[in-house]
Amino acid sequence: MNLLQRNVGILQQHDPALAAKVLESSGGTLSIQTAKSGVPTAMVNGRFIHSAYDPVFEAERWAEHQLKDCQEGEMLVVLGLGLLYHVEALRAIMPEETVITVVIPDLAELVDGLSVRSLEGWGKRVRWVWGNPEQMVLQVAQKAQRIRLLTYEPALSLHSEAYASFRSQLRDQLAKWTSGTLHIMVVGPIYGGSLPIAGYVVRALESLGHRVSWVDHSLHAPGYLHLNTIGNDRLRMTVQQRFSDTLGVISLAHLAEDPPDIVLAMSQAPLSMAVLEQMRRKKVLTVMWFVENFRHLTYWQQMIEGYDFWFVMQQAACVEAFKQAGASEVSYLPLAADPTIHQPIALTPQEQEELGADVSFLGAGYRNRREILPTLLGHEWTFKLWGNEWEQAGVLQPVLQRNGARIDTSTSVKIFNATTVNVNLHSYTGPGLDPDGDSVNPRTFELASCGAFQVIDHRTLLPALFDESMMGVIRTPEALAPAIRNALHEPEQRRDMAERSRKHVSLFHTYVHRMQMLLSTVGLASPDRIGAILQGERHAESLLARTGDCPGLRPLLQTFPSTERVELVDVAKKIRQKGPEATLSREELLILMMDEYRQETRDFL
Amino acid sequence: MDYRLVIQLARLGDLLQTLPAVTALQADRPDDQIDLLCAAPLVPLGKIFPGVGQVLPWDGEAWNQMAQCWSPERGHALSEATEHLRALERGSYVVAYNLNNHPRSVLAAHLLSGRVVGAGAQGPLNPTLPPWVDYLRHVAGDREPNRIHLADAFCGVCGVNPPPVVPTLKGHDVELAPDLVQVLNDSSLIKIGIVLGAGDPDRRVPLAAWREVIESCTDHLPNSLCLLIGGAGEREAGLALEDQLSPHYLSRVFNCVGRTSLPQLAHMFNRCQWVVGSDTGPLHLGVACGARAIGWYFSRARVHETGPYGEGHFVWQHSGNMHSEEKRISLSPPRSEPPRIWPVMETIDLMRNHHPAGSTDWALWTSHRDDWGMFYTNGVKPDNKVLQRKEVWEQLSRLSLQRQKYSRTNAVMGS
Repeated sequence: MNLLQRNVGILQQHDPALAAKVLESSGGTLSIQTAKSGVPTAMVNGRFIHSAYDPVFEAERWAEHQLKDCQEGEMLVVLGLGLLYHVEALRAIMPEETVITVVIPDLAELVDGLSVRSLEGWGKRVRWVWGNPEQMVLQVAQKAQRIRLLTYEPALSLHSEAYASFRSQLRDQLAKWTSGTLHIMVVGPIYGGSLPIAGYVVRALESLGHRVSWVDHSLHAPGYLHLNTIGNDRLRMTVQQRFSDTLGVISLAHLAEDPPDIVLAMSQAPLSMAVLEQMRRKKVLTVMWFVENFRHLTYWQQMIEGYDFWFVMQQAACVEAFKQAGASEVSYLPLAADPTIHQPIALTPQEQEELGADVSFLGAGYRNRREILPTLLGHEWTFKLWGNEWEQAGVLQPVLQRNGARIDTSTSVKIFNATTVNVNLHSYTGPGLDPDGDSVNPRTFELASCGAFQVIDHRTLLPALFDESMMGVIRTPEALAPAIRNALHEPEQRRDMAERSRKHVSLFHTYVHRMQMLLSTVGLASPDRIGAILQGERHAESLLARTGDCPGLRPLLQTFPSTERVELVDVAKKIRQKGPEATLSREELLILMMDEYRQETRDFL
Repeated sequence: MDYRLVIQLARLGDLLQTLPAVTALQADRPDDQIDLLCAAPLVPLGKIFPGVGQVLPWDGEAWNQMAQCWSPERGHALSEATEHLRALERGSYVVAYNLNNHPRSVLAAHLLSGRVVGAGAQGPLNPTLPPWVDYLRHVAGDREPNRIHLADAFCGVCGVNPPPVVPTLKGHDVELAPDLVQVLNDSSLIKIGIVLGAGDPDRRVPLAAWREVIESCTDHLPNSLCLLIGGAGEREAGLALEDQLSPHYLSRVFNCVGRTSLPQLAHMFNRCQWVVGSDTGPLHLGVACGARAIGWYFSRARVHETGPYGEGHFVWQHSGNMHSEEKRISLSPPRSEPPRIWPVMETIDLMRNHHPAGSTDWALWTSHRDDWGMFYTNGVKPDNKVLQRKEVWEQLSRLSLQRQKYSRTNAVMGS
């Protein structure tokens, strides 16, 4: 009996189906070599996925490194297979009761491993999950247990797409079970495009039941913008920087007074590295939703290590660039709409008269728009141009509305509703359409959410969000006018498409969806903190079930409603409510003592 | 033998002001062991308090860490706190004397003993303050004119009178740098400790004033040597001061800033004749170690509350403070204008045993003691408020006794 057969025998005892599948499969994914230490190692595409010198020692170091973060009661899910040295080392270092699950994206890789490495002594104390990502997620998430993902990066890259799919489906699955509420501090910008998004984010989080503290720095915008009257560039920039630094300190003061579980900053939030480092010292998780084009605005490079989590609206190249720059966690999170604001509305005749047109464009006067939009003049349709930064509009001047004033959100919604065909051209500082255009702008979602028909320029990330049955998509500037004409001539089809896009937004692309995704991503990466809270582990009933070590806590916890989140501050408050004559137990005194230290704010600023 | 615990979780200066209370308690309860709970970094100093049994460290940083990672379901975090506490206990204390009116100190007292004297005596959640603690709160908050020294008030909190003999500290045999040993062993030198730093920035004396002191010492006290005293955080200040001195004066300075632990500093002060500085922990350490002090009291520092403890000390009190005190106009602690001139030559005169010239901005106070503890006089005779101390002691002691009787009655009825 060879090694593979002996290993299959071990698998057979716990997972006969897997054992049978292994026997049916042939290996060949890994190229087996001999390490300097004499044990097998493996290569793929000329690259070692285990140490060429001593894979056992390397695996032990990896396992020790993982041990630092792992908490009692968590299920450890290993992503990355290889020759399983790391799994064996992890099993050896972890307590017997810790469940270790290994995800198998490819049976051939497992066969390679089982052909040269023995499961004897440890293999039967590991859970193996296999099949397609959906099946694997169901196997992993069937138990309500904290899940901690551990990645063995060298082997992960062999099946990166399968693992990414597993990860995102697991996140979505866990999001469905979310019952706990967080305290989230949203830090907005002083002004700019991400300011309304901050508002949508706050509403979405609140609608999900979370407690939100919005640090709204737009209150300070008039003072900040007034600094533009300082003519000397250097002086002005210095003063603006100090103004911005002060706003960062103000954010810290808010945080000190009522510490949140998460700080969610929007692009351009005035949080300096010093402020972010202080937040980290205070063990507050920081998240940035960077809703900018990473190629145009590059300040993220200086801030990259300041945030624990980055969410970006561009994929591949952007995620890669952020990781290269040192970001530990980067995830794609596209923009969205808020259907309570971006919705179909009935307009008065006066509004329809002023804001309506056959064709409209709303946006700032970027170069590509200045070159393309004139092609919409002189046709059989009426055309209106809305938005600011249209100085020296040239031939577009006669169609520029309100003399190029900035258009607020509620007026935008009315314009979208009043227009038959809305043109949505993504901004670009070059001529024509952006050849590298990937991200989808907020207007796409907002127009769709209003049930307004749009013709949009193609973006690489658009098909994953909307299909061409929902909006007109052009790939060249020359295609714009024909697409508009076609839409104007087909009112039925146009209305169907717009309605489909509206429904699609409400089902998949609201800020509520985005916040669910954001929080479940953070929760998956920090199962003992955010994940535990989201899964309702801080509810009084859940806590009561787990007070084995401290029976003295039971009477206290029983005073809370069963689904109420309970934290140290809440327990301490209950104790203090006992009044001045109360005699306190040792546990109660200890809780009050720790609450005293929790309130420590003197070193916050 | 019973075990009793004195709790002092505040800074160096307050710990040193606790020494008389510890000594008085030992005299009052000679058969019992007095332990001390203090901030962890000050434990080495607590260990040289004469007669103290055990010195327990209060590790605020560890509590901070536990508080940050504590959550209700993590029973082991509470167990961790219990373990942390257990490491402090040596059985049960019959009483904990809590000298800090702070929730953490109150809780610590109740965690470590079933009976608490001082702040929190009525219960961990009871805001009623015992008479002596209430008195201290009034003095600190309202800047009431008073003449009872903080160290003596601590004795009152513990229910004992001030000790008849001023306690002193002896630095144990600690290893010092050879160059420092050589200087300290040179009996021909008059060694003057210059306390450079202060925890409260308001109490820092400008380096220019210290330069003048050093130059004047050199010019007028032929065998003097100035030892610069300070913690690691004052290293830069020490170096900057040396930079300002010409070689002639530099040879009469020994820079010890940031070079000594607390026991080493005590050892050094045991060999100093004088210590000069503002109202800071190191000044009081110098005093406790036997050096005569000349304090420069300004900002919120007041001679009657925290003047150097013992006889033969001097305090130059900046007039801004006394003015505020006497007028009693401020509801919050007054913060006077920083001094414009410093009593440099006046201080040198005191060390030369010359009668110092008068100063418009500074008043000279001299320390004395009687049965009711420390007091300072600004002339030949003590003023009326000094004489009223006896009444205050009697009144507060009577109130304390009444309170204790009332509590005991309540406890009996409750049981």
